Amino acid sequence: MSERIADTAIEPRRRWRIRRPRRIRRSLLLVPPLTIMLVFFVFGIFADIIAPGDPGDTNVLNKLARPAFDGGTTESLLGTDHIGRDIWTRIVHGARISLIVVAIVVPGAALFGSTVGVIAGWRSGKMGQVLMRYVDVQLALPAVVFAVLLGASLGASIWNVVLILLFWTWAGYARLVRAEVLSLKEREFVIASLAAGGSGFWIMRKQLLPNVFNTIVVIMTLQVPVVIVAEASLSFLGVGAPVEQATWGRMITEARNYLTQAWWVMWMPGLALMLVALSGNLVGDWLRDLLDPRLRNLG
Amino acid sequence: MQFISLVLIRLIQTIFVIWVVVSIVFVVARIFGNPEAALLPPFDTTEADYEKVRERLGIDKPLYTQYGIFLSDAVQGDLGYSFIRAGAAIDIVADKILPTVKLTAAGLVVAIGLGIPLGILAALTRGSAYDWLARLIAVFGQATPSFWLGLMLIFFLAVRVDWFPTAGAEGFRALVLPAVSLGLLSAAGFMRLTRSGMIDVMNTDFIRTARAKGLNERTVIVRHALRHAMIPVATILGLELGTLIAGSVIIEVVFSWPGLGRLMIESILKDDFPTVQAGVAVIALSIAMGNLLVDISYRFIDPRIQAAEL
Repeated sequence: MSERIADTAIEPRRRWRIRRPRRIRRSLLLVPPLTIMLVFFVFGIFADIIAPGDPGDTNVLNKLARPAFDGGTTESLLGTDHIGRDIWTRIVHGARISLIVVAIVVPGAALFGSTVGVIAGWRSGKMGQVLMRYVDVQLALPAVVFAVLLGASLGASIWNVVLILLFWTWAGYARLVRAEVLSLKEREFVIASLAAGGSGFWIMRKQLLPNVFNTIVVIMTLQVPVVIVAEASLSFLGVGAPVEQATWGRMITEARNYLTQAWWVMWMPGLALMLVALSGNLVGDWLRDLLDPRLRNLG
Repeated sequence: MQFISLVLIRLIQTIFVIWVVVSIVFVVARIFGNPEAALLPPFDTTEADYEKVRERLGIDKPLYTQYGIFLSDAVQGDLGYSFIRAGAAIDIVADKILPTVKLTAAGLVVAIGLGIPLGILAALTRGSAYDWLARLIAVFGQATPSFWLGLMLIFFLAVRVDWFPTAGAEGFRALVLPAVSLGLLSAAGFMRLTRSGMIDVMNTDFIRTARAKGLNERTVIVRHALRHAMIPVATILGLELGTLIAGSVIIEVVFSWPGLGRLMIESILKDDFPTVQAGVAVIALSIAMGNLLVDISYRFIDPRIQAAEL
């Protein structure tokens, strides 16, 4: 008995010493990605104030100008492209388009896809079969090919890109959530609820959904960079936002032929794309650890 | 017996799925497409010339008549002739299948070979420097757009130093850069999911039981933990196959790879309906078969799922 008291008296101290540095390290690591995400949001929302110039303004007398930190002038901070457009202005305005697309597509697809997934998993009879066959149709549609077909048919506009990406991404949530629910519903706590007279809706809402919530968050995390990159890829294939709009994907495409003469034209939008996608991932990781009590208890 | 009949039902459903997919493409292409404009010179062309071309292509009739003709031909295995190339659409598509299969398979090898072992190791050494490194690689893999990665790889490894060809599909060396560009994104996904699945499962009661039984750690991990952690991975495998096939379209454009994806993009932009339909049917068939295989594999991975739910 006295031994145990001695143990507990020592333990907080020891724990304090071990845990303190780890917590600081973890939260410090989050500063850069959170800052980048914040900057991305601020750029997207206040693009007109931060870079007041027109991203489409050309200046053939000042084409392929070097960035300010590599022997250029401060007039064009990140240099200019092959027809003299200011890369800094175009990146800031490109952030707005990426932000609009992500802000609509990721929550929209998650909400719709998970709802379908939970229902299809719980009512795995006729209703589930019908829903999953539709998901199969959706997943069997070659996404990029169909996106190009839709993009070429509907014409170039951000809203068409949003539609295409929503359509493209929701089915993945449905399939994964259904698989988890199929496994969950055989578990004792669900059977116990059923035996106690719990309604299907109650079980879906109170037992299945909270248990697949982490999966949904992880998939949403995975989807933020995927959606940003998909939007850029559509621009790369020539069916994204209209030509007059500055998007990161289109900037990279147009820079292809100038890579050996002017590295910055392709590196700048590419780096912007990578940094935002990277930060989205890191922030999402942290959010997942925070939301998953089993993982959090492990420290 | 019951299992076989369920697989048969799924195969019939697969045919249904392909029919729906091709029908959607048929309708969307014909509502918005305009192939006669691409075939005739833009100047000095009369409406009569357009009429003649439309008649030759069989797109002068109302949509439902065209669809009826298409269906009755398709049932007999005839998917029509290309509008712009010589030959039957299905033959043109068939020529491009092998290069795309090669590219996708190589991408999958990169994805699985890199992702799953890295994920297991990261989970088992959670919190270590190795874990951080593996997660850093995964995060970078996920954050790098495949086409940008491809262009960068071409720039550094094919232009700056002449280790790999910049384009084409000649020999093994030509396969390396496209496969890496294609597979890295999926590798990151596999790694993350394997890692989180393994960490979850290592804290469950049945793993504690397995250890308490006195099984050695290797058996616990391979036979018990890994099998459970593979359930979400198996689900994502079907999705990743779709991702890889979709991604191969972009990679084929970046590396001028002579495959199905590039053929599809060209055919869409030139409104070559029969080739687009035949290509979409082939791609849809391969994705649907992939998903069926994944669903069948659940049964072996997770015995709690009953055959009725296949």
